[in-house]
Amino acid sequence: MEVSHSVKERTISENSLVILLQGLCGRVTTVELRDESAATGRVTSVDAFMNVRLAEVTFTDRQGTVSQLDELFVTGRNIRYVRIPDEVDIRATIEKQLQAIHRVRYFGGRDKGRREFLHTK
Amino acid sequence: AMSFLKRFPPPADGVRHQQPDTEALLAGRSLGSGTLYIAESRLSWLENSGVGFSLDYPTISLHAVSRDLSAYPREHLYVMVNAKFEEEAKEAPMTEGEEDDSDDDVEPIAEFRFVPSDKSALEAMFSAMCECQALHPDPDDEDSDNDYEGDEYDVEARELEQGDIPSFYTYEEGLSHLTAEGQATLERLEGMLAQSVSTQYNMAGVRTEDSIREFE
Repeated sequence: MEVSHSVKERTISENSLVILLQGLCGRVTTVELRDESAATGRVTSVDAFMNVRLAEVTFTDRQGTVSQLDELFVTGRNIRYVRIPDEVDIRATIEKQLQAIHRVRYFGGRDKGRREFLHTK
Repeated sequence: AMSFLKRFPPPADGVRHQQPDTEALLAGRSLGSGTLYIAESRLSWLENSGVGFSLDYPTISLHAVSRDLSAYPREHLYVMVNAKFEEEAKEAPMTEGEEDDSDDDVEPIAEFRFVPSDKSALEAMFSAMCECQALHPDPDDEDSDNDYEGDEYDVEARELEQGDIPSFYTYEEGLSHLTAEGQATLERLEGMLAQSVSTQYNMAGVRTEDSIREFE
């Protein structure tokens, strides 16, 4: 998943555990909703407000009826839990996402400033 | 009659996607065929006769593309809304009410299905809705500390501070951001400046490449 183009969203992600969810892109996860329905699918994207987009979804509604959905978007405020798959290394996932954010932030080159002053004549 | 249907002009601004020939259904009952307008401000559907309804994004809990014909016989855009619509209240069978938890009163749910005659448009409809939903973050979100506006948390300033990218500092601020290398460079430059005749250059400001070249 691409890092957000929004400065505000990058900052929110960097300072909350939503960054962990963003690292789950590409993985199959189960999202439990406030109304007790649940959606299991592959995470396509998660934004700073915890809105989650899933693909190839098995959706179980609150009555227990199961159906397939090609794509699902659920708003952050309606999510109760997100199940982190067992095989996910949580720390490594968070670090990788932080690195992705820092690559975007320092795109101009972190050392550019120093090199300018290193000229000796 | 569906009393929540009203006559209103189609939205003109910020319409990300428009899908004509789209049937709308609420809790399984057809409202007719019309045009779905996915606009940045709200989601609207207008029947060909000119009456319709709008949904505000904050009330939409989720939306999805359904192509599972065994679950529902036509491919459609499913939209779940956190609100009661008059028809919904009358339609809800009593047995369902008994089986559900009492939070049925707390969590009203209305299920809309939008069935476009052009099924290939479902992807675009879904994506347009995702984009518009993202424009309406939850204002009532008390749980997370997302208050990054105002004096307490200036995002732009924070991003600038965190990098070593060249930036414009006042003299005092700038000193505190210097590395040991930077400090040495500054001392060298200041030494050269002290020896120079011109006193009109402002030492407490921006050190541009031009001003450095002059002293080297």
